[in-house]
Amino acid sequence: MLLDRRSLNPKEKLQRENDMLTYEDLFAVALVISAFLALHLDETIYAIISFAAALTLLSGLYFLMNAPFAAIFQLIIAVGAVAVFFLASEMLTPKKGLPQKMRGKILGLLIASVLAVLPLVVDLNVEASPKSHSLFFASALWEYRALDVIAQGIVVLTLALGIVMVLKRRRGK
Amino acid sequence: MEYVILSLVLLAIGIYGLMTKRNLLKILISIEIIAAAASMNFVVFSSILGDQLGQVFLILALSVDTAITAVVIALVLIAYREYGIIDVWELSKLKKSER
Repeated sequence: MLLDRRSLNPKEKLQRENDMLTYEDLFAVALVISAFLALHLDETIYAIISFAAALTLLSGLYFLMNAPFAAIFQLIIAVGAVAVFFLASEMLTPKKGLPQKMRGKILGLLIASVLAVLPLVVDLNVEASPKSHSLFFASALWEYRALDVIAQGIVVLTLALGIVMVLKRRRGK
Repeated sequence: MEYVILSLVLLAIGIYGLMTKRNLLKILISIEIIAAAASMNFVVFSSILGDQLGQVFLILALSVDTAITAVVIALVLIAYREYGIIDVWELSKLKKSER
């Protein structure tokens, strides 16, 4: 990617780009590996860190797909909120008794590597359709889905109140 | 189309976790991975079609997903406080013993 491509003709440039690893490929491989390790690692704290890494990589992938709003939202909501929730619950759950065997760790890494080969084989470049029509994010959100946004706000508020009520009642008991 | 394959790989990883893990937190992580795989398609097709509506749907889906995660974590905490376990098999044994 860092090679000087000014001297190449367009065909050679395209061929060179197809041969080289792109950022999308690297993000996709790291995403698959971290998602698998999030499930495979026995220690919950490492699993949570791996899961947070997977969501961060997913956010980077969204950014590379020219979807900055989705990327930022994914980063804030998913990585921030979910990782904090998991860390909070980790504090209240028991530690794992027996340490995971080295053989299991190596096996997990091997399986994750095999799964990660797939994004390398396929070409992960998104090309916009020539028929595409421009619809701005703000108008898509507030003109097409305004009712959904308001309804969802109410749903999320109700869920938050429900959680508070459930935990409060249990504490009272 | 290629991102759909990546999404399928993530879906497969999530289903693997659902089928093999007994820890409630791991099961929740599996569900989150499946949700991420599903919502990724919104952004992919939004980018391909040049339509921002996909990103809007992703934001709506992520908000609800995060709220549901909060509820499930609250339930996990209650289960742990009441019974001291986070293993789904142990929880299902409790259900049998109550009968």
